[in-house]
Amino acid sequence: MTFLNGITNLTNWMGNVIMPTVAGLFFALAVIRYARGYPHQYIAWSGLMCLMISGLLRGIEKFASQAAWNNPDLIWITLLGLVNWTCDVFMPVYAVLQVLQGVLAFGGVGHRIYHGMPWIRHFAAAGMALALSGLVRLAEFFVRRGVGGIS
Amino acid sequence: MQLINDGIGVLLGLAPVAALVALVLAGMALRNQSSLLQNSRFGLWMFWAVVMLTLPQILSWFSGFGVPVPVSAGGGTALLNLFKVDVTNFVNQFVVGYFAPVMAAWLVLRGVIDVAEGRNPLYSILGAMFLLSIASTQALLQGWNSGTKFATADVLAGLWTYTVSRILPVAAGLAIIGAVLNFAFGKPAMRLICCGAAFLTVSALWRLVLSMM
Repeated sequence: MTFLNGITNLTNWMGNVIMPTVAGLFFALAVIRYARGYPHQYIAWSGLMCLMISGLLRGIEKFASQAAWNNPDLIWITLLGLVNWTCDVFMPVYAVLQVLQGVLAFGGVGHRIYHGMPWIRHFAAAGMALALSGLVRLAEFFVRRGVGGIS
Repeated sequence: MQLINDGIGVLLGLAPVAALVALVLAGMALRNQSSLLQNSRFGLWMFWAVVMLTLPQILSWFSGFGVPVPVSAGGGTALLNLFKVDVTNFVNQFVVGYFAPVMAAWLVLRGVIDVAEGRNPLYSILGAMFLLSIASTQALLQGWNSGTKFATADVLAGLWTYTVSRILPVAAGLAIIGAVLNFAFGKPAMRLICCGAAFLTVSALWRLVLSMM
């Protein structure tokens, strides 16, 4: 019995067993909070991130291994990689999302048809509650596809 | 004079046993402080464990100062040897073999209570793991003993390298898990993400500080 084995197994168990299981709970909570009209987006994102614990760690490892471990510039290179990724990868994806939102807003979604209206909210929440397993599987599908990177 | 020499020999022979006790106290301090290095209780007991394991090498400094010290462990009268064997058996069989696992079990229970009280159970769990791995930790520390006058610093350097290269990359995973949970419950998450990145680059941080000097 070594401390390293213990902490390694604890991390693996938390990251690969418990967090993906808790993801389903977070999606359920997101649907309930949406139905009640409370802020719900952060907990839905949390559910998605619960499925990506390994990926998030690998991402940070990738940023932190761009140079030799004994290179004093590694801190700067890590930060530079993070900034580059944010500007070159994340922001273009964010731009696409904004264009999509703009098109939807132009079509009236958000003011003429507002997804926060009580009747839409309740019907949507009912649909999502009935399709919760499917939503979790969809999130898992996206995470699994993400392993190959953006293409 | 011979009695004093015998006493020194017995005490030196008991130094590894004292190191085991120091490691048990370090494990208990790990839970009580809720931090590895803050307030230094855990660090203090780890330091004493290292000192006990390298005591003969530390005493060898006195030879360099012109004060010869009988650094060999063991010897002495039958009574003193019996005392040494009894203390060693007590620590190995009771403190490490029985008491530490029981305390580890109590720390796991304490972790559950921590959750009920709204505190983080991680340090109780880590403390329990540390208590369960006392013997292997001591063997690890002894493995870094170079046997020279600088053995204490060598063991501390080995401990630093081991922590940075083996423990902290795993702890980075725990930091990410903590960040996601904090984000879910509306607590600050960004500092844990930064912490995870820092855990993976501690060696480079050290090199950076060195290059700035």
